Amino acid sequence: MVTIQNLHKKFKNLHVLKGITTSIEKGEVVVVIGPSGSGKSTFLRCLNFLEQPTGGEIYFDGVLIDPAKNILQVRQEMGMVFQRFNLFPHIKVIDNITLAPKTVRNLSADEARARALALLDKVGLADKANSYPDQLSGGQQQRVAIARALAMRPKMMLFDEPTSALDPEMIGEVLDVMKDLAKEGMTMAVVTHEMGFAREVGDRVLFLDEGLLLEENTPSELFSNPQHARTREFLSKVL
Amino acid sequence: MDFRWDLIWRSLPLLLQGAWLTIQLTSISVFFGILVGTIAGMLRLSKGPMRYLAGAYVDFIRGTPLLVQIFIIYYGFPALIQNPVPPYVAAIIALSLNCGAYVAEIVRSGIQSIEKGQTEAALSLGLTPNKAMRYIILPQAFRRIIPPLGNEFIALLKDSSLVSVIALEELVRRAQVIIGRTFRPFELWLAVALIFLVMTFTISRLVNYVERRLKVGD
Repeated sequence: MVTIQNLHKKFKNLHVLKGITTSIEKGEVVVVIGPSGSGKSTFLRCLNFLEQPTGGEIYFDGVLIDPAKNILQVRQEMGMVFQRFNLFPHIKVIDNITLAPKTVRNLSADEARARALALLDKVGLADKANSYPDQLSGGQQQRVAIARALAMRPKMMLFDEPTSALDPEMIGEVLDVMKDLAKEGMTMAVVTHEMGFAREVGDRVLFLDEGLLLEENTPSELFSNPQHARTREFLSKVL
Repeated sequence: MDFRWDLIWRSLPLLLQGAWLTIQLTSISVFFGILVGTIAGMLRLSKGPMRYLAGAYVDFIRGTPLLVQIFIIYYGFPALIQNPVPPYVAAIIALSLNCGAYVAEIVRSGIQSIEKGQTEAALSLGLTPNKAMRYIILPQAFRRIIPPLGNEFIALLKDSSLVSVIALEELVRRAQVIIGRTFRPFELWLAVALIFLVMTFTISRLVNYVERRLKVGD
């Protein structure tokens, strides 16, 4: 579904991604791990061009992503969930979810609303449709954010440390929603520190370190039999 | 020492007519000022060459006295185009342009105060940058700029007294005329000050009310 070839990203003098080549297949759950500053968030943000890569190519469904040509279409098919939720605080939960389907996909208000209510039900927040985001807990906000992204019916979902800003007791409810999504066959790329999630849900784990993709493997292989010293060192700290 | 209350009472109808003109000039100018200022503020944040033009406009207005700006519009410009500009029109143009520059800065800082994550979330859903601005950033920025916008309204109401120099019969000009007849400056200027106070106080209450009504969800 996504093919990444020799992806580079430089911020002025800082070389964050130093040539990453990999791919994400349809229906696959790819978990990206690595120490902080390894470039894993930047890697994810390059996939939908929230960060403009400074080198390399990314193909989505076989088509080269070109910010001048097709980036809007690509983003419509690639939902994203952020560490800090980034819900729109000035509109209700239901409007957060219907906004993009209405303004981007030109869905009628009724259709968008029906779709939003079904998604809220799916993430267990059917009773929060008319609340404002700041009336919800962090875990609830993040579930709304997932529903908001799903309302576009994307082919793929990007998760950028979706549980890192949450209180510990709320992490489970968000991971549960993500697990359900994985079971339904959603293609997912997940940057996370939740090794339990990686092991349980991930089809493949990418280990990034200092802008390089050091190692990629199935979770069981990577966790039990890491090939690189850096991977072993990282895993010894987080497992 | 005598204080002529009766003079204040007798002057009041004339002064209030002047105050009415003050309110008209200020309201119309704030309306155009917000229009001009929103455009200029957004241009200042844009990438194109227009941002330099908008920047020059803001710098010029903020760096020169309003009085001089009024003279340029009322005396300077007509000389250039060989056509007089009526005082009322000149006043509104000068006040609107002046207000617009300050509003531009308010709008610019309001937009910049919205966190980057909001734009990113909107873009990640496939919205164009224009739609992200329209549906996500501007509505939030608007709420945040209500208080400084209210301050600007009050500042302009007070500054509008400067158009008395082009013989517009607003509040200050009316007082000058009455004083010329009665030689009672203390009573008249005190009355003028109180009328201004009532107007600015009303506006600040109004702004507070709007601010509270819009507070939801921020």
